[in-house]
Amino acid sequence: MEISATYLLQLMLNGLMLGLIYALIAVGLALIFGVLEVINFAHGELLMLGGYAMALSLPLFGLSYWPALAVSVMVTSLVGVVLYEFFLRHIGQKEFERSILTTLGISMILLYGMQYLFTATPLMVDTAYGFEGLEIGSIRITMTRLIAGGLSVAAFTGLYCLLKFTQFGRAMRAIAQNREAAMMVGIKPRHVARNAVALAAALCGLAGAALAPIQLLHPAMGQAIIFKAFALVVIGGLGNMTGAVVVAIALGMIESWVGGFFGIVWQEGAIFTIMILAVLLRPDGIFQRGSMRVG
Amino acid sequence: MTQPRWIPVAVVATVILLFILPWLTGSNYFTGIAISGLIFLTAAASLNLVYGYAGLLSFAQLGFWGVGGYCSAIAVMDFHWSFWSGVLFAGGINLLLGTLIGVIITRTTRHAFVVVTLTFALLTNLIARDWIDVTRGPLGIPGLPPPQLMGFVFNTSARFYYIALVFSLVALAFLYALMTSRIGLVLKAIKQNDPLVQSQGISPAPYKLAAFVIAAVITGMAGGIFAFHLKIIDPSFLDFYYMQTFLIIVIIGGAGSFWAVVLAGAAMVVLPEALRFSNELRMVIYGVVLVAVMMFMPAGFSGWLEERRIKALRKALQ
Amino acid sequence: MSVILSVAGVSKSFSGVRAVQDASFDVEEGSITGLIGPNGSGKSTTIDCISGFQRLDAGRVGLAGQDITGLNAAAVARAGLVRTFQNVRVYDSYNLVDNLLVADATFREMNWFDALLRTSSFRRTSMAARDRAHELIELVGLTRLIDAPATVLSYGQKKLLAFAAAMMARPRLIVLDEPVAGVNPTRVNEVADILRKANAGGISFLIVEHNVEFINSLCNKVVVFEQGRKLTEGTPDDVRNDPRVLEAYLGMAPASHVEAT
Repeated sequence: MEISATYLLQLMLNGLMLGLIYALIAVGLALIFGVLEVINFAHGELLMLGGYAMALSLPLFGLSYWPALAVSVMVTSLVGVVLYEFFLRHIGQKEFERSILTTLGISMILLYGMQYLFTATPLMVDTAYGFEGLEIGSIRITMTRLIAGGLSVAAFTGLYCLLKFTQFGRAMRAIAQNREAAMMVGIKPRHVARNAVALAAALCGLAGAALAPIQLLHPAMGQAIIFKAFALVVIGGLGNMTGAVVVAIALGMIESWVGGFFGIVWQEGAIFTIMILAVLLRPDGIFQRGSMRVG
Repeated sequence: MTQPRWIPVAVVATVILLFILPWLTGSNYFTGIAISGLIFLTAAASLNLVYGYAGLLSFAQLGFWGVGGYCSAIAVMDFHWSFWSGVLFAGGINLLLGTLIGVIITRTTRHAFVVVTLTFALLTNLIARDWIDVTRGPLGIPGLPPPQLMGFVFNTSARFYYIALVFSLVALAFLYALMTSRIGLVLKAIKQNDPLVQSQGISPAPYKLAAFVIAAVITGMAGGIFAFHLKIIDPSFLDFYYMQTFLIIVIIGGAGSFWAVVLAGAAMVVLPEALRFSNELRMVIYGVVLVAVMMFMPAGFSGWLEERRIKALRKALQ
Repeated sequence: MSVILSVAGVSKSFSGVRAVQDASFDVEEGSITGLIGPNGSGKSTTIDCISGFQRLDAGRVGLAGQDITGLNAAAVARAGLVRTFQNVRVYDSYNLVDNLLVADATFREMNWFDALLRTSSFRRTSMAARDRAHELIELVGLTRLIDAPATVLSYGQKKLLAFAAAMMARPRLIVLDEPVAGVNPTRVNEVADILRKANAGGISFLIVEHNVEFINSLCNKVVVFEQGRKLTEGTPDDVRNDPRVLEAYLGMAPASHVEAT
């Protein structure tokens, strides 16, 4: 195989894009775990919902990208609010298995419900941008990919500012660190938790909507990605959002590079091996609370 | 651990009924459902050992199921072994794999346990799809031949049914003996109060590992047999759908209760088939049932009954 | 008298906070020794370290001449030291007999094949364990509730059950973490009587407790902790009249006092 600099650069850009999408999902998982100590199994389905919302609303706006994107983000964050108010709110802090099985049930309802409504046939999504792209030298990036990357970066910047500088962000970090103390100083955990789930869902919806024009849409797409998000979260530390972002981007790059040179089996085997090593090296560190740091 | 007296009678009656079932129904379709029912029930009962008894929510069962299926298929098609050695091979490989993973993860936190076992399950799915040299990728391995024993060919549903039946009965009897033994008593004690078990001089790790490995072997062999019922194995054998079915059976029955899980298994497999829902709709219903059970009776049906008994007892004691 | 438990120079810190510093004391064979001190004085951490639930940073622990430093909790219990827990722990869904059966010493040495096949020798040991469980339940006065799941017991009854389970393990030394905290005051004397009976049967005790009357009536020796260090030790009378103990209990501790438990 001839390895040219262009090929490497192309791989790196693809990896970066993929990593940013993973990071959006992983950050949402970390956010929900930090505030509620729940691992959200329906997270992948939120991504899928975001994608389908994009696909379905695009024709309504004459294929124009931005209004459809806004709709999908709103839809998924609304689903997040419902998820919290009707289900997660009723599950206690120590009921870890119960939270998993509940969200697993919700993910089944969403996944197979969508499959029932729209069949399992993959969906191609077309936007007004079509195949427009940017060419720099011999590298070509399609407009939709560029936007997806830009959106992720913007989302992270927004999230960072939100957590660092607003009252809501401070309250959320306070709860993640010490629930009792946070309640004593008058923080309402229910409001904060609801907003956190809605925010995580919105990030997921954004990722799904951004992915829709890039990849084929199908109801099981969430399941494929959530596997990687879980792996990420184990490697990066679930309480640690910065860690999740860093590892997500690294994973996207590694995947893209390994996939460019070796068989895909190696790529997936590598992720699992790294994860097992992470568990072995710090069996308790992975799920430590109170380490949810931003910046 | 006392059981009502009618249970042995009911068990004998059910076993007799199961043995004459193919004579009662001439329909291959119905016998096919009975085969799936028995195999799923056995896999669910072994998940019950891990989750209901040892308290470890393991998604790895799906991986073991798939590894078992592929092992027996590959043993027969590529190594030209008999079906029986293939199923034993499936059990053996799962013994190794279960021990390897189990040693590592029975020592971690319950959070990490869930995520690692889940990732293992999804990884096996990806490997089945992508490791084309061994698994033949998305196309799978079609044309698995019917098992033979001393010249007798199990080439009809009714004949294959007896393989599933004998395997399930042996596996369930073994699990029953295990769960009602002192080992079962210790396992459930570990689930209820790990530090207390340690303070009484028992190390929980070997017990958890044993439960995990035994479940891996039984699930793997169940998968190995099921592949030959389908006569083909491909990556859809590792669909999360199977895991969800096993889980639903355990959760509805009530984790930690042998008979409740057996009954729930029978009900959950037969009812949707009898009502002839599409596959998607059935999974939506499973999902709704799972969420409803988790919301309103998190300890399953048997747990709900037990709760009522305790409430009545509390009242009587006041 | 020979020493059953020797604690020598035990120290333990949690992320920089010193919970226990250089604590040393002995429990004599056949004695009932009390361990008292204000909240946060390191009593609980000390018994966690002794019983193998916490790794100690420094020091040695010996049980009847055997070095048990650094053994895990199960190994410490097998060596003959069994503890109870401050927030009472029982197997909630098990009835009282099953609660005790798990604790039975034959359980930890059981051969799994015997257990599965239920061989006749195995059934004999099981029967013996069952008989002993009934005796112990009678000793703590819970026979009336023998078939009930432990979750229906009151807090005080659970403490008695936990004590019976500790006895079931046939230990040489039982470490009790607050055996009468939260127990109905009218029943405290009953608990003391049960402990005396068990003590007369040859079991030594180390008791952590806030109820000073209970300690004084029961113990041969009292060890006092303050701020992670041993303040003093002696007979109950000596300790009661020690001005330093009074000072520690009346809250005249310096402001640097750190809650560690």
